[in-house]
Amino acid sequence: MTEKVVTETTTEARRPSLIQNLFPSVLSGIVLGVVGAAIAGVLVNRITTAINPDGVPNDDAVVAAVYTAWVLFFLVGIGAFNDVLKWGFARRDPTPAEELQLAGKGQGLWRYFRWTTDHKVVGMQYLATTLFLFFVGSMGAFMIRLEQSRPGAIFFTPSTYNTIVGMHGIIMIVAAVIMVAGPFGNFVVPIMIGARDMAFPRLNALSYWLLFLDIPIIITTLALGGFQTGWTGYAPLSVQGLTPGMEAYCFFIIIFAISTTVAALNIISTVLVMRTRGMTWGRLPILVWGVLLSVFLSLTAFPTFMMSQTMVVMDRVFQTSFFAASYGGNNWLYEHLFWFFGHPEVYVILLPSLAIAAEVTAVFSRKGIFGRRMLVGSLITISILSVIVWGHHLYFSGSNNALDAPFMLDTELISIPTGFFFLAMIGTFWRGKIWVTVPILFVVGTLVNFVVGGITGIYLADLPTDEILHGGMFVTAHFHFTLVGTAVFGFFAGFYYWFPKMVGKRLDPTLGQLHFWLFEVGFLGTFMSLFYAGLIGEPRWSANIAPPFATPNTIASLFAILIAVSVFVTVYNVIITLRSGEPAVANEWGGKTLEWSVPTPVPLENFEELPVVTSTPYDYGSPEPYPSDVEGTTLEGPLLPQPQPES
Amino acid sequence: MSTSLEHVHELEPHIRVGRARAAVIMFILSDALSVLAILAAGGYLNSLNTESQFKVAGDHPPAFLPGLLVAIALVLSGLSYYWWERRARENEGTGQAAFFIVALVFVFLALVGQIWVNMSLGYTTTPFHAYESVLMLITWFTWVHFLLLTIIGLLLLGRVLRGRLAGHGYIAEVTGYWWYYTVLSSLLLWLFSLVI
Repeated sequence: MTEKVVTETTTEARRPSLIQNLFPSVLSGIVLGVVGAAIAGVLVNRITTAINPDGVPNDDAVVAAVYTAWVLFFLVGIGAFNDVLKWGFARRDPTPAEELQLAGKGQGLWRYFRWTTDHKVVGMQYLATTLFLFFVGSMGAFMIRLEQSRPGAIFFTPSTYNTIVGMHGIIMIVAAVIMVAGPFGNFVVPIMIGARDMAFPRLNALSYWLLFLDIPIIITTLALGGFQTGWTGYAPLSVQGLTPGMEAYCFFIIIFAISTTVAALNIISTVLVMRTRGMTWGRLPILVWGVLLSVFLSLTAFPTFMMSQTMVVMDRVFQTSFFAASYGGNNWLYEHLFWFFGHPEVYVILLPSLAIAAEVTAVFSRKGIFGRRMLVGSLITISILSVIVWGHHLYFSGSNNALDAPFMLDTELISIPTGFFFLAMIGTFWRGKIWVTVPILFVVGTLVNFVVGGITGIYLADLPTDEILHGGMFVTAHFHFTLVGTAVFGFFAGFYYWFPKMVGKRLDPTLGQLHFWLFEVGFLGTFMSLFYAGLIGEPRWSANIAPPFATPNTIASLFAILIAVSVFVTVYNVIITLRSGEPAVANEWGGKTLEWSVPTPVPLENFEELPVVTSTPYDYGSPEPYPSDVEGTTLEGPLLPQPQPES
Repeated sequence: MSTSLEHVHELEPHIRVGRARAAVIMFILSDALSVLAILAAGGYLNSLNTESQFKVAGDHPPAFLPGLLVAIALVLSGLSYYWWERRARENEGTGQAAFFIVALVFVFLALVGQIWVNMSLGYTTTPFHAYESVLMLITWFTWVHFLLLTIIGLLLLGRVLRGRLAGHGYIAEVTGYWWYYTVLSSLLLWLFSLVI
């Protein structure tokens, strides 16, 4: 069926005035959000003071009301509800001109600061936000390494240190969850499947702006006394009324869960129904599989996380007792709810990065992906198994031991499909025509780091060894090798790979290589030292380093300087590229996926005509098949040309 | 980014239908997992009965009769919606709007009733015990869903009254998925609150 093209004389949208650019925009959202939050805070303060017999306000209730009002009024201010009301009560559907304006046509750079539905704009917004979150999280990491460089609590009080550790953790976790599905899932995936946009462009904008308004919430924890629980937010510590900063953590998670759910159902719907003709499941690029499985996992995992934080807020604000043992609650409930989300969540982070590694390797080896179906099968198997292993985080929580053995078995089983991933990657590199570029360097780094991260995970999966290692820096080093060394390196492979398509300019390859080597050497030095620190008994979450652990921590902090330098090298590279970078061509790397078939910059609706797909995008350098009935051919005929028989 | 393409391509009808079905089903899946989390939390705390403090003397479930009336209103709402939805799908978006309005009225009554149930729980001593905490969570979760359904119903009513459902019968169908899910999940939570 051919597409219906709507053309009318009024498709040209009027250029908006400055006032129209500002209202609605992120500016009006912030103004209205702050005003609404202030009003709500004052109101709830007065109400709780009036009803409290002691005559003091309920600080937790005030903070909860402030955050709720901030969210609602920001969304009103940015115009999120305008289309909702029009959907229900308008006399007509939006005209093509209105749709184009909503997609950002004719708005220049303002489109990045407004409620814009074009998936490419949303992808760029996610990319900028991801890089910002990584920068902020990195600063937290460097503060941690600074504090831990010498014995004693030197620069921060233990309370402040706990907050820094918690903020570093949760900000990096959030950044890692969105880092592939956000920028590349939004910008690249629709083009990759031959679609003009996401299934629900307005929900796409909603998912981003929910993330945006969420960031000030976690930052305000610093003004509210911080939170002492670390990134896991464990009860019962989290429900004790130490500081109202804990509310910031809870609301940060709840809003992020809603944003992720909206994004997930959008991406899933897009891949299910918006694929172009010929794009069967068997021809779907690996990145699409990785992102699809990741968001499906997040759809199933985030509800329990959201419910756990809802219960914490209820305990703090309304004096319920889900986690207080004295009144029939139990902290095991929190641990189960949290880790039922928490373990699938690391695969939400990992799967897209592994998919990027496979995608990039095929291009720069000029070879099809070895065992492509096996690779897809391994990603699916990892997704399924990841849902049933959460108990390995509860081995020493004191809960029932009967399930320890099954969880140990399930956790070990995940190493099998992971092994298939490695097999596919090595097979793709094998006898490939390797083109050494910055993306492929990061893929190699991903594989090296994943070997270390994966093998150390075996020790933590096994109860006898976990008994010694849990709660120590060995665990910290393990999950940094998997989440940072594997997933973040995979993100950077994608970042350098798709940057030319997304921005239209080439990043400096020399600075890119410098970024890689500084990051990899610094990362290996830092976290190998922490593996050693964990093996000799250093516990986690301690501001005060005991003297026996001083040497490995000092070495780790020194290597962390290299990581810090690599961050600034990347920032510098991005800035100079944006200012005066060399323009990129449409197909920078000779890739065969659909995003490389469209011009750079990518047009608003991506394709003039929707493509028809007839094969997978990985047939790099396929030799012509040798006819099997030619005399003189052997079983190796296609690879070893045989002399033709004389006529 | 070039915006040189002047055309706006309309989505094909089967894509509109497909994406709506997929999205609502995914949303139901996500919300159902929240419901499961609540049920699991209540059952787990009940079985642990930490320090024998899960449920103490004086703890009681919500009043039965108001809950039963809310349940009946919900069921009637679902049946009325189903009657309207069938006609709307058969007639490509046009149907007897009266049944839809009746369904919406019953949902609104259920919302009012559920808020009343919540306010009449009678739990006064803080900190609340775990049993009371679970029931408070269930009653709040339920009326929030009734509020969401009321809002969705009002938006749909706007389209119905403006005649903008014609040709979009799938909207009635996918809204029905969420409607029936809300009815079923709320009934499940109500029954759970009676037996826990």
